[in-house]
Amino acid sequence: MRIVAFDDGKLGVVANDETVVDVTDLLQQFDPLGAADLLPDLITHFDELRPELDRKVAAGGGKPLAQVKLNSPLTRPAKIVCLMGNYREGTDRPLQILDLFFKSPEGIAGPGDTVVLPPHQADIFHHEAELAVVIGREAKDLADAEAMDAVFGYVVYNDISARGLGRTGINSFLGKSFDTFALFGPWIVTKDEIPDPQALHVTVDVNGERRQDYSTSDMERPVSELMTYISSVTTLHPGDVICCGTNHQGLGSVQDGDAMVTAVSGIGSFTVHIRDEHERAWQRGIDRAAGERVKAAAQHPVAQASGRTG
Amino acid sequence: MRLVLTRDERIGVELDGGMIDVSAAFADIRYRTSADRMPRVMAVLHERRTDLERMAANGAPSAMPALQAPVPRPPKLIAAFGNYREGAERERQTQDMFLESPDSVIGSGDSVVLPNHPASIFHHEAELALVIGQRAKDLPTDERALAALAGYTCAIDVSARGLGRIGPSRIGKSFDTFTPLGPAIVTIDEIPDPQNLHVTLAVNGEPRQDYSTRDMEYSVVEILAYISSFMTLVPGDVIMCGTNHQGLGALQDGDQVTMMIEDVGTLSVAVRDPQRRAWPRGIDQDMADRQRAVGVS
Repeated sequence: MRIVAFDDGKLGVVANDETVVDVTDLLQQFDPLGAADLLPDLITHFDELRPELDRKVAAGGGKPLAQVKLNSPLTRPAKIVCLMGNYREGTDRPLQILDLFFKSPEGIAGPGDTVVLPPHQADIFHHEAELAVVIGREAKDLADAEAMDAVFGYVVYNDISARGLGRTGINSFLGKSFDTFALFGPWIVTKDEIPDPQALHVTVDVNGERRQDYSTSDMERPVSELMTYISSVTTLHPGDVICCGTNHQGLGSVQDGDAMVTAVSGIGSFTVHIRDEHERAWQRGIDRAAGERVKAAAQHPVAQASGRTG
Repeated sequence: MRLVLTRDERIGVELDGGMIDVSAAFADIRYRTSADRMPRVMAVLHERRTDLERMAANGAPSAMPALQAPVPRPPKLIAAFGNYREGAERERQTQDMFLESPDSVIGSGDSVVLPNHPASIFHHEAELALVIGQRAKDLPTDERALAALAGYTCAIDVSARGLGRIGPSRIGKSFDTFTPLGPAIVTIDEIPDPQNLHVTLAVNGEPRQDYSTRDMEYSVVEILAYISSFMTLVPGDVIMCGTNHQGLGALQDGDQVTMMIEDVGTLSVAVRDPQRRAWPRGIDQDMADRQRAVGVS
């Protein structure tokens, strides 16, 4: 089942005939405080709601997809958990140590929205296309066998990243937390429709030019292992999202006027636009130097350690 | 005014060591959990000030009940990287911050539970914390930025070292129970100068951290301006201003930790470690020296 947020505050299901069936009314029984509660409520009560959702979809009467305004299917997750580099990227090396960071949930944007580049003196602004996992239930210390039970579904993610800000030498991640820098779309596909999350194809096209192009089969730690590890650190809630990391081979700049399409096979694709009122310009095409740097750094992860503290 | 949230979900004003229940002043605020509720309370705190003062003046304080964190699950939990001079003679470092899991928050009287992860040590980091009271983006770098605050409180940024991939990995700060917060939100009018507060932390009665917020590299106002140039701040967000690492030490099973900020409050937690690991007690002088060496060329 495909779950969409649309028309600025509604939640719906996309039927097989590509129409959007509004299910917002069905969720009023849970007394939402605002639009941000609709998705967590749907997720929490999904099993009991599913027969009614199926009936509504079968009854038809939805609006054609082209006639609704799609929004980020995640309105305001409580947590956006992001994996640090989690792909082999053609290197021949041992698995890197698992690590993660949190991204500002105020950064959410979605299909048709505009990424606004801030005036900060970044070296470059990169796209990072990723597979993301939407959490289905409260979870802490998941065992291997139940890890995938806590998954609700999957969504396409693009982790816009300003480089070179913050304190040098410590891999600052604040440049990923600007408003409009957390792109989710076009809808959430429930896990029953994705039999193998490690066999999905991820692409980014900027102004029609192919940039990122990789398979989730190259992940160092598969989704199930991410679930057990992250839940050993922090309690996960319905509607939280785990972004599985990107393959850096194929990153490139985003700049004023760009139209960018992010896609994951089996889920879908969505387009966003880039605006930079300073009209800065970077080299177009794939940033091969960035790709090579990531490969080199990953060969010697210990060299980055410095004993610095928070 | 000092606002507290009780374990049984009452909102109170702390007065003379006791509490006056002011829940009625927020009766119109819809909520489902205290995590939903307190950000909404923060958003109306300033405008309801007169009502609250009247209720506080007319009520008789009862004994202070058990509390939970005044914001049990903040919309965002933000932390400043090392933000104190610590006696080092150097240019101030480039400003930087990061986010922690909001699910790490606990209240005064709760227990920090050390996880079964192979950390090299678990440190306490006592910090002044800011609680946001209104939606804000691009705040100015002057006193006007303080209007975005609901108030101040105490935070301990418990930090597992040696986990994760890079030297200063932040994952070790996001474990559940690793952010004791509270006990009260102290409104900004009670703190005429946030850059002149005395912060102390003691473990089992033994002094560890002892520093002044005068030593901050980037002031509260600069912190607010900087972080709001990146992201929209929303009511209930909590920003920890960084710690002075001179005086850090290990936390381990059975420890009783008491943190104080003068005029802000006293935050007490216990430490529990099901693995019963042991580290040297007292101040971690190696850590203190390493930290002073940073940025000194």
